[in-house]
Amino acid sequence: MFKNYFKIALRNLWKNKIFSAINIIGLSLGMTVCIIIMLFVQYERNFDNMHQKNIYRLDEVQSWEGMVEPQEVALSMPPMGPSLKNDFPQVKNYTRIFPLEMAGLACNDKKVFLKNVFCTDPTFFELFDFKLIRGDRKTVLTQPNSVVLTEESAIKLFGTEDPLGKSVTTHNRRDTLHFTITGIMENIPENSHLQFNGLYSLSSIFKHGEDKEWGSNYMVTYLELSKNANVKLLESKFPAFLKKYMGNDITKEYKLFIQPLNKIHSASANITHDYHNYRKFDGTYTDIFFVIAIIVLVIACVNFINLSTARSTRRSKEVGIKKAIGVSRNQIIFQFLGESVFLSLVAMVLAIILVQLFLPFVNDLSSYHLIFSFLDKPILLLFVLLGTIFVGIISGIYPAFYLSSFKPIKVLKGVTSKGKNKSFGRNTLVVGQFASATFLIIATIFVVQQLSFIRNKDTGFNRDHVLIISGAYKNYQKLKNALEESPLIKGVTGSSQKLGNNFHQDGINFKGTGPVRNYASSCVWVDDDFISLYKIKIVAGKNFTEEGNGREYMVNESLANELLKDEPKKSYEFLIGKRFWGNEDTLSTIVGVVKDFNFNSLHSKIETLSLGNNKKGGFHDVSVKIDGAKTKEAIDFIGSTYKTIIPNFPFEYQFLDEHFEQLYEADTKVSKVVTSLAIIAIIIACLGLLGLASYSAENRIKEIGIRKVLGATITNVMSLLSKDFLKLVLLANIISWPIAWFAINKWLQNYAYRIDMSIWVFILAGFTSLLIAIIAVSSQTFKAAIINPVKNLRTE
Amino acid sequence: MSVINITDLEKIYRTEEVETVALNKISFEIKEGEFVAIMGPSGCGKSTLLNILGLLDDLDGGSFKFNDVEVSGFNERKRADMRKHNIGFVFQSFNLIDELTVFENVELPLIYTGIATAERKKMVDEVLDKIQIAHRRNHYPQQLSGGQQQRVAVARAVVNKPKLILADEPTGNLDSRNGNDVMQLLTDLNEQGTTIIMVTHSEHDSRYTHRLINMMDGQIVTQNIKV
Repeated sequence: MFKNYFKIALRNLWKNKIFSAINIIGLSLGMTVCIIIMLFVQYERNFDNMHQKNIYRLDEVQSWEGMVEPQEVALSMPPMGPSLKNDFPQVKNYTRIFPLEMAGLACNDKKVFLKNVFCTDPTFFELFDFKLIRGDRKTVLTQPNSVVLTEESAIKLFGTEDPLGKSVTTHNRRDTLHFTITGIMENIPENSHLQFNGLYSLSSIFKHGEDKEWGSNYMVTYLELSKNANVKLLESKFPAFLKKYMGNDITKEYKLFIQPLNKIHSASANITHDYHNYRKFDGTYTDIFFVIAIIVLVIACVNFINLSTARSTRRSKEVGIKKAIGVSRNQIIFQFLGESVFLSLVAMVLAIILVQLFLPFVNDLSSYHLIFSFLDKPILLLFVLLGTIFVGIISGIYPAFYLSSFKPIKVLKGVTSKGKNKSFGRNTLVVGQFASATFLIIATIFVVQQLSFIRNKDTGFNRDHVLIISGAYKNYQKLKNALEESPLIKGVTGSSQKLGNNFHQDGINFKGTGPVRNYASSCVWVDDDFISLYKIKIVAGKNFTEEGNGREYMVNESLANELLKDEPKKSYEFLIGKRFWGNEDTLSTIVGVVKDFNFNSLHSKIETLSLGNNKKGGFHDVSVKIDGAKTKEAIDFIGSTYKTIIPNFPFEYQFLDEHFEQLYEADTKVSKVVTSLAIIAIIIACLGLLGLASYSAENRIKEIGIRKVLGATITNVMSLLSKDFLKLVLLANIISWPIAWFAINKWLQNYAYRIDMSIWVFILAGFTSLLIAIIAVSSQTFKAAIINPVKNLRTE
Repeated sequence: MSVINITDLEKIYRTEEVETVALNKISFEIKEGEFVAIMGPSGCGKSTLLNILGLLDDLDGGSFKFNDVEVSGFNERKRADMRKHNIGFVFQSFNLIDELTVFENVELPLIYTGIATAERKKMVDEVLDKIQIAHRRNHYPQQLSGGQQQRVAVARAVVNKPKLILADEPTGNLDSRNGNDVMQLLTDLNEQGTTIIMVTHSEHDSRYTHRLINMMDGQIVTQNIKV
């Protein structure tokens, strides 16, 4: 019996090559998309799943006076962790991380530079289940000057030697430290939001109880809660907790909240100062991708349903005969379901091949390392197989019930029902398909527009050909002087932080005509030529001077407006020469007001900002503007100059442009994914339309013949056949427009700076889908229209 | 023994506006081994009657005994089961499955009655031999002439040795030479004991049968004319 089913299925597939190809190609494209997106979703959803404990990260909402908007930060104060553990029984444990950007470790003559070394509490290995290969989890970090290295770092430094117990030296800004290697851990898995190369015991750095001081936020704190802890209840007690340690007014400025470990990667999109969150990606997008992938698959399934029912007359005789000889309806249903499952399995095989072909390309585009291997994960095969069978059943169930419902007497007499209801169902599905496809086209256009808008928007400063070298500090001036000698270098300036982040906030004080006012704003120390190198506009006052070092401040318009709140009638000029200072009361003044510029990403509004002219202690970030025509020479020159001046640290640089690209990495990813999905959705939907059009032409071949005999032209016939489909596509547009408008509008809210939604985009998308549909349909109708009518009528 | 025994059989087609009586209280009996022709003008109800006799359609009134079993209340599954084991069909338009070869088409009913592969092969070969088409066993229907196709259809109808063959204008799509071949085949089967009921328009074909049932407007006019 199965053999018979199989034979009929295969021969049917073979006989109707076009339909089979449409079904299989469409379905396998849909499956390919689905598999790749599911791999991505799985990658995203599995972040930090290697830890068993009930871990949360402590975050803050800061809202100081003078800030445009409150901000959520991933930082906390050092004593918060220990105090929380002390005050709340449900907080079982804590560990804190103080990250070092770079550490140079030396042993004998060998020296390596490790990025991201964390200073952390001894409890680190109690909370986190990172695997320790050597050393005792309980004690590796208890002693000052202990260091745990990852395997990779240890091999860099010691090769094949046993590193345990060896000592290493490192220089930090102030002094030289000697560490003993107490443990070796496995390399950090790709799906950990914390990525680091080594751990110092916290007590090595904070020797004098600095970690007991309240007030500054520079640590990342993780808490282990008891299994059934009520998070909401705990959070509700945080205000009282803060008041207890920091006084009653503190709750105006600070709010604490905690995030479960498995949400840190995906639900931190709005959290700033979140420096150790590897490949942070907004989980909403993951969900959106998931939904779109399912939609694409459904579009492919719809093709199957539509083509099978549309072509049911072809199979009706078989059903009739089988029923006449006594085959039960269930057996026939089973046969057709089996056929669609078989077809899905064929599509699956093709999809697996396509995934293998596309994945390197996808990884390249998205810089992910998605792996699709049944050998690594046999369970994957099971999932794909079950998914495929499910798809086969879902897309086969309606055709199976429909086909098996045929009355043998009717079909064997050649009477086939051409009921309106059947094509109503089909039309609904076609409208659904094209509505989804049009939606994706519209989304793609807006997403691409918005991203190009962000890239090209005037941020208020010029970042062309600027590269950033980090960690110069006291060598800044020497480096600057040396670099400026070359004609390849157009300018060098320094700043305490680089553009493209939200700067750290600090307290500032201002004395206008009234009493001293205290605010908080984003603050950055800069060299006196910072404003001119970045071509930031000055709207009042004058630029920094060399002599003014340590005494001059400039504020941006947002801060200026804030400062002028007490003096509403005064212009910016009023602020010039007024006293303004940070933590230490010096005789500094405001010398100028700069036009607002986007020092952070365009997701955020421009915050209040003060720039202080102060080169005491050098700068962390050196901005070097180079000759754009001689990039290679310039970089070589900077590299060699750097090595002579700072031989102890490796030369690393980044173009500021690249840094800004990174800020929009998630957006770029979204746009790429949405674009590819839109294209694939359109292709699949068009395949389906092509099939239906060809079927409709074939079905109406007698009508076409008669019409042509009666004098219809080719154009008449084509418009007759195309009209119905184009109506459906139009209807699909009408449905998708408002949905797209709503969805895009919502997405655009993520940006402080966004494009206007032009109606033309909708019209363009409508025309595009219509045009593609016309091409698909007319390729089939034309064939039908040019056939000699005599031939059609004779074959009747 | 009677294969078919119907009494006061009624069939009414209803649409929104009209009610058409297709079969109006007809009664007759068909004995085992008979070869009966049903004749009458188009629309007289003979095809409707054949469909009911073939358990493809329900009746709206009266009694219908098949092999002395009352089948008028049977549901679709029971009817399918009854058909599977007792009735073979021959249609005017052959109705072979285009995707299957001659052999596979004839084999089809055996597959669904659950006969083992080897046994099936033997039975199909035997019947193909009998209709002298064994040399075409691996051909597809489109590769055969109309007469050959109808002979394959007859082979399919008889392969699992049904008690009754229902033939709906079996020669309607054939020329006279091919038509005669098919009629001869049916006659041979009848002589070997199969009961046959045939709907036909052809006086010529009706001469092969034992008895004529004449219908008009859903009623039987005569039913005992010996040919």
